[in-house]
Amino acid sequence: MPSLKDIKTQINSVGSTKKITSAMKMVAASKLRRSQEKAEAARPYSSRLEEMLSSLASSAASGEGIIKLLTGTGNDQNYVVVPVSADRGLCGGFNSSINRETFKLVKSLEGNGKKVQLMPVGKKSRDFFNRVMKDQIIESFVDLNVSSTGYESALNISNKLQELYFEGKFDKCILVFNKFKSAISQEVTQQQLIPLDVSNSEKEEEKENSSNAIYDYEPDEETILKDLLPKNVSIQIFKVLLESDAGEQGARMAAMDNATRNAGEMIDSLTLKYNRTRQAFITKELIEIISGAESI
Amino acid sequence: MATISFDLVSPENLIFNDDVGTIIVPGKDGDLGVLPGHSQVMSSLRPGRVMVYSEDKNLVKSFFVSGGFAEINPEKCIVLAESVVELNSLDKSSIEKEIEELGIKESKESEEQLSIAKAKLEAITVSFYDKI
Repeated sequence: MPSLKDIKTQINSVGSTKKITSAMKMVAASKLRRSQEKAEAARPYSSRLEEMLSSLASSAASGEGIIKLLTGTGNDQNYVVVPVSADRGLCGGFNSSINRETFKLVKSLEGNGKKVQLMPVGKKSRDFFNRVMKDQIIESFVDLNVSSTGYESALNISNKLQELYFEGKFDKCILVFNKFKSAISQEVTQQQLIPLDVSNSEKEEEKENSSNAIYDYEPDEETILKDLLPKNVSIQIFKVLLESDAGEQGARMAAMDNATRNAGEMIDSLTLKYNRTRQAFITKELIEIISGAESI
Repeated sequence: MATISFDLVSPENLIFNDDVGTIIVPGKDGDLGVLPGHSQVMSSLRPGRVMVYSEDKNLVKSFFVSGGFAEINPEKCIVLAESVVELNSLDKSSIEKEIEELGIKESKESEEQLSIAKAKLEAITVSFYDKI
């Protein structure tokens, strides 16, 4: 049976854990608000760019050079998978679900005879894939801090990807990230980044096109498209980074909220145990005194 | 006189959004003066100045953009730019220093940055109209 002092120490330690988790929850909540604002602010740019792109996409039937970002290389043998995780833990299943999903994707692609390379973003996925498939990592990006450095961080990733793409190192690039659904739920999503997947945005555009007159292009459609495509890759990455950042804060908030609640419950049951034990000691001592007095 | 709605958007935020009289945007093949009722144009931009004039033709704001796109229709003009700075926040000596440093390096990236920096210098040295 644990002594009273043992239980007291345990209650204290759980109490201080509770303080930490509830502070982390508060921090995550305020960071979440900031990340959401950032994601909100980036929306007009990316939606405009997508609109422009989908109205231009049809004009590029086939092509060389930059247009390849849209039309593809004609092969689908070599893949690059980019898992986007957080740099820090203590956010529930946020990182592990990304890693699990990516791992599954890589295995299934390899099962189909494709060659897969990895380009993890964030410490947690880098560390994970360093353990399980180290030789497939071509590059990793950590400590991005997208909410403070902003667009620059996305540019680095995008430049690296495009450099490799034009060297012919891969044919397709898939992002795996946590889509921000609400403050408490994230959804692991796969998005094909290169070649660009315009199929879903095109449908929306068809509706709009019917009301919009046709644009003049300056200098011409192809030149614009050449400028537009690399930027689009960067902005897609930027969007994903922001979304993942907001998701991370949301996941951490939920995880810390749970931890705080659990600590509270634990303290309650420990306090009960403490009181019972103390009562038992008192009773025992009383019995000893009484039986001692009787025997005299 | 009529006005045209003007949005200046960067990846990080919406920088300018108001109804204005005239906008001059640096199109790839030359500056475009955008007035209300402009025909529908989609243009890619070179590094240069975006000048915003009010309805009564006074200069309201001036920005430097490092390239991007403009979408223009009779009621609205939208400029998407990767990096946007207000023209009067640019400092001539620091740009000159940047050009010097970039001139030494020889890579594709620094070449691009150099051309942007040169355009920046041009943007603050070449005169413009306060009133049109």
